[in-house]
Amino acid sequence: MSATDGMSLRCEGLGFSYEEAGVPIPALRDVGVELPAGRSLALLGASGSGKSTLLQLIKGLDAPETGRVVLDGCAPDSPGYAGLQREVGIVFQAPELQLFATSAWEDVAFGPRRLGREEAGVRRAVDEAMALVGLPPEEFAARHPYALSGGEQRRLALAGVLAMQPRLLLLDEPFVSLDPATRRQLTAVCSRLRASGVTLVLATHDVDIAWTLCDDLLVLEEGRVLASGVWDAEGSGRALRSTPRLREPFLVALWRRLGRDPARAPRTHAEAAEALR
Amino acid sequence: MRPAIAQYYPGDSVIHRLDARAKFVSVTAVAVALFLRDSFAGLAVFAVAAAVAYMLSGVPAVWFWRGFRPLLWLIALTFLTQLLFAPGEPFFSWWVFDFSWQGLRFASFLSLRLLVLVLAGSVLTLTTAPLALTDGLAWLGRPLRRLRVPTDELALMVTIALRFIPTLLVELEQIMRAQRARGADFSHGGPIRRGKALLPVLIPLFVLSFRRADELALAMEARCYRPGVVRSRLHPLHVDAADAVLLALTAAVIAVGLIV
Repeated sequence: MSATDGMSLRCEGLGFSYEEAGVPIPALRDVGVELPAGRSLALLGASGSGKSTLLQLIKGLDAPETGRVVLDGCAPDSPGYAGLQREVGIVFQAPELQLFATSAWEDVAFGPRRLGREEAGVRRAVDEAMALVGLPPEEFAARHPYALSGGEQRRLALAGVLAMQPRLLLLDEPFVSLDPATRRQLTAVCSRLRASGVTLVLATHDVDIAWTLCDDLLVLEEGRVLASGVWDAEGSGRALRSTPRLREPFLVALWRRLGRDPARAPRTHAEAAEALR
Repeated sequence: MRPAIAQYYPGDSVIHRLDARAKFVSVTAVAVALFLRDSFAGLAVFAVAAAVAYMLSGVPAVWFWRGFRPLLWLIALTFLTQLLFAPGEPFFSWWVFDFSWQGLRFASFLSLRLLVLVLAGSVLTLTTAPLALTDGLAWLGRPLRRLRVPTDELALMVTIALRFIPTLLVELEQIMRAQRARGADFSHGGPIRRGKALLPVLIPLFVLSFRRADELALAMEARCYRPGVVRSRLHPLHVDAADAVLLALTAAVIAVGLIV
């Protein structure tokens, strides 16, 4: 993947509520996010804590009731904002639902074509995105999306968003109901994206994968920010330990058990093995 | 969610508690009587009866209006065609059209008849849960089973279809969001372009629905559903004195309506 200059993200005082039978149910209350370009943020919280809502507000699919989303330093009322919004990619929970074309290649090409790219650019972006997610076009381009396995479908849907070459990528529970091998492949894709410079927001229940992938942390509970900032094992780890439905990453807990300094807990199994050898 | 035609308004009024079958029979009988009678006096009797039933149900009037609004065009069209083409002594002529008092009278009568029909139908659908209604219809359709019509199975199909409408709406919304995030545009262009723009939504929705139908069929078989076997019910329909009163009142209203 070619290097991308990531987009910075700042959310200020975001509030949003859903309406059920005429009664507003608050989903987010005064949520602030500060994410410099090229960094990756883990969005953690129990089900219903507002993670998906936050991602959809960032992408602009819903308008916040209070507060605003600032992209690359541009406020929503500035002229280039719509263009910046188009450079935000979002991958929904179970994105395989969005597949509709008659070939894998055509499905991935839908997004970049809608952006009005010229055909050569589309071809390059699609081939690159398919290769990145481990579905090499020479093998998969002509396959029917619904003939692929569940894990392949999910990676194809991810490629469909990557082909639009987002500078800020929002991933909503990308690892749910995947087998371990597919999970590993998808984690590898994420870390490649991260290395390429894309700004990443990862909403997930899988605190261990988030720990290997993310620099920063935002913990939501019932729509409020419980902890945020750089994800070091000590400071923000306390929020994870004190929230009943969350837990610390395995490697941090292991370091604590071993009587070692949890602040220096390794990020990956390889680092852990190295340190313990 | 916006109330639509035939939407249920949960409540605990006298009308809500009536048996679905009794309500269905009553409303059907009134509807038939409406078309047997062509005087304003008869119409007024049925209109008052339907209005009283609606008020007893405690459903806000706006719910009727929202269900009725889409039908306004139909009624306006009926009114116009009758006004312009009904025979009679013209009191006013314009181009090829003749306006007569008879035409005006007939057009108003037909429009009011439709209004009363929709009002009576609304009382049934607004106060009867869809499940109770399909159960009631299945019961009423039982004689058809002698003609090998699978009434229970048809009722179950309707029930399942109703059950999945909200689910499908949620999924439709999700798919539309995902495609919009990929640059799909559902609100611009002419009808053909808009129709084409819906393909990325309709295809996944169909695939999902078929997959869900397969899974549901398997799950039902795993829980011993067998077509053609009489099933027991969690909420058995039962008729009590209030239903007898309803049917008696209906008979009285129809008698008065047909005589006056």
